[in-house]
Amino acid sequence: MTTVEPKTFLKDSVAFPFCKGCGHHHYVHNLDRALSSLQLDPKKVCIVSDIGCIGILDSLFISPHTFHTTHGRSTAFATGVELADGILNDSKLKTVVVIGDGGATIGLLHVVNAALMNVDVTVLVANNMLYGMTGGQNSGFSPLEFITPTTPEGNIVPPMDICAMIKSCGAEYVTSISATDKNLTTVIADAIAHPGFALVEIVELCTEFAIGKNKIDGKTIQTMADQHNAATLPTTFKRKEFCEEYKSKVLGRPLKIKNDALTQKYISSLRGSRRWVIAGTAGEKVQLSSYLLMRAGILCGLHATQKNDNPVTQGSGFSLSEVVLSADDIYYTGIDVPDVVIISSAEGLKEVTVNGTLSRSNNQTVIIMEDSLPEILTPAKMYRVPLRSLCTPQRATTSAVAAFIANELMIPLEAMIDSIQMHVGEKVALYEEDIKKILPLLS
Amino acid sequence: MSTPLIKIRTGNQMIAEGALHAGCQFFAGYPITPASGIYKSMIEELPKHNGVAISSPDEISALAYCIGASARGAKAMTATSGPGWSLMIETVQYALMTELPVVIAVVQRLGPSTGGATQGAQGDILLTEYCTSGAYTIPIFAPSTAEECFEVTSLAMFWAEELRTPVIVLSDKEIGMMSEDVDFDSLVSSPINYRRQPNNDTTNVYKTYDFKSLADIPLFSPVGGENKATITGSAHDKGGSLQKNSPETIEVLRHLQIKITSRAGEMAFVKTDDDPNADTLIISFGITARTAREAVKRAREQGMHVRLVNVISLFPIPETLLKKAAEGVHTVFVAEENLTGQYRSVIQHLFTGKLVIGINSFGKMITPNDILECTTL
Repeated sequence: MTTVEPKTFLKDSVAFPFCKGCGHHHYVHNLDRALSSLQLDPKKVCIVSDIGCIGILDSLFISPHTFHTTHGRSTAFATGVELADGILNDSKLKTVVVIGDGGATIGLLHVVNAALMNVDVTVLVANNMLYGMTGGQNSGFSPLEFITPTTPEGNIVPPMDICAMIKSCGAEYVTSISATDKNLTTVIADAIAHPGFALVEIVELCTEFAIGKNKIDGKTIQTMADQHNAATLPTTFKRKEFCEEYKSKVLGRPLKIKNDALTQKYISSLRGSRRWVIAGTAGEKVQLSSYLLMRAGILCGLHATQKNDNPVTQGSGFSLSEVVLSADDIYYTGIDVPDVVIISSAEGLKEVTVNGTLSRSNNQTVIIMEDSLPEILTPAKMYRVPLRSLCTPQRATTSAVAAFIANELMIPLEAMIDSIQMHVGEKVALYEEDIKKILPLLS
Repeated sequence: MSTPLIKIRTGNQMIAEGALHAGCQFFAGYPITPASGIYKSMIEELPKHNGVAISSPDEISALAYCIGASARGAKAMTATSGPGWSLMIETVQYALMTELPVVIAVVQRLGPSTGGATQGAQGDILLTEYCTSGAYTIPIFAPSTAEECFEVTSLAMFWAEELRTPVIVLSDKEIGMMSEDVDFDSLVSSPINYRRQPNNDTTNVYKTYDFKSLADIPLFSPVGGENKATITGSAHDKGGSLQKNSPETIEVLRHLQIKITSRAGEMAFVKTDDDPNADTLIISFGITARTAREAVKRAREQGMHVRLVNVISLFPIPETLLKKAAEGVHTVFVAEENLTGQYRSVIQHLFTGKLVIGINSFGKMITPNDILECTTL
């Protein structure tokens, strides 16, 4: 029986750039030992780091892939690597995120989301309770009463417990450990081997900034790690590792080709363009009526554009569409002078007033407006039709569009009926009834 | 005669179609009006083509996921609008520095800040181009129709892979959210390519950022691949080792710019509606280029001699083509929907000795009459 001698992933004889006594020495050596103990192919390991003292460890590794990213974002980059690896390549790359407490503070959402997704990324948080590289400023992990250059009276904001937070995301492997703990190699190796998201908080001392003004030593650190481990697991979610979940539930969704290609079936006598504004109330199929009009135009070989407008909230207030039909290519997609305006409700009337449609109308414009709305002063040719009571609010604009077409004869009514039937099937008969009722009112 | 295959599509949907056609394998998105249609289309379509399309918790994550996936070898894309673009700027700089290809569709809306979510604008030209520390040239392509959304996205994917760099598709609310008839038989696309990779037979040690001349594109080997990748956003030598300002590092930083600008001629892309006797040139792009085309049609009916240039490749600035277009004209109009004439401000130096006039609108589309009134003065 032969035993494989664990091989270091580190460069030979490179001095670590860390301060004397800094916990990062333990962190790097134990990460290396953990990778070695797992006997991983270095080509199947990617170390993703970011900004801060611990982030420069990428330069110490010789064989695994290294990916040195922006401050606090390493977990997000690692998530992208892992998604592409696990779903598109299926190569079982081990992605390890190296991040400090500063990075975990600014990039907390990335850690939270990776944990929620249960993506196969291992996050090793080097928690030395401050920003060491920039002068020892307090981080989101600094304990209460902790003295730093930016908390000279002692920190008055409690620290976040990353373990408790990430456990609440349903992460299955979360633990806190002192950087000097003899089990650190095993803990890191177990975290990396875990098939899914794992987080290890490695509590350390910054010898440059943490000690001196603070009463802090190995015992304090052990207590902190114990407290963080004591947090119970409040939530568990039953799910597989994200890539496995995605492959089984989403990937390879059947390729349903949407057969919505249109070919010319009818002939229009329209020359130039016809510009429509259709306005009403959200939820009353205003934009649908415009789509059906556009489709009818295309069935006649016309070019068409449709723009919709609504308030920021989509299900209340006005709904407005602008449709241009043209025998020629449509270059300008706006409407200076509308040819046809259909107004089915008070919200619609208010909007065409506010957006200038009415003031831009002239004596060539035709307006079909719901009968119950107040009189408006306009040079346009006005038809007052009780659209809402004749056709119901839901059919009002579509039936008004169809009736105008039937009256004008530039586009065959069959094209519009074709569109309506495509959408509502047999109920097209209701619209045909509506058109019969509206037509006499347009003469 | 064959019947054309017409479908009703928005510009946003056609950006998604263009990305799929180009072989996009990865999309991460975060909702924002007016770009959400791209996100929705990619979520619907990409998994059917064995690609990954996922939701992210913010725009920073969206782009970081894409760049992580790109580092693993995937052709990646995301989409956003002004407020989301602001959040992505740190990460797009990272993509540029690490030479990781990605396409970002920026669908402009009215700013500043959260501005007008459903109000069109062309006000992010300079914000998009000059977002990097050092003002590196980022290729930007601007579509003016739904069909061009397809064409330009395919082109952006091509150049992103070809140059190992982020490339922007700069659309706007009007083009993104408007539906129009699209003839699928007449769509134009670029060749489908993939970043060049090292030949693994070589005995040379792979260097992540190696090049001989400044314009060369380093060969790409993914994390998880056979060659050790050493990726860093910090100033680095050709091997990816962090350096302060060694001559080699400065050379790498210059290479990031030269590899783009040395190909400005190849990337230059304008569509010209010519009149050989033109005495007036109108330059425009995006939604306003369409309006300008209508204005030019009407101007010619009035006997005017006008040339129109629709600039598709906004950056690198197609200097030679623009200078050539201005030959023989006395006045150059630049029409764009923003307050200060952003594109005009970076191209007007090309037209020495000519009158350069901006046609601008703010908070509303420029109309054909706006252009006619200016050009007939």
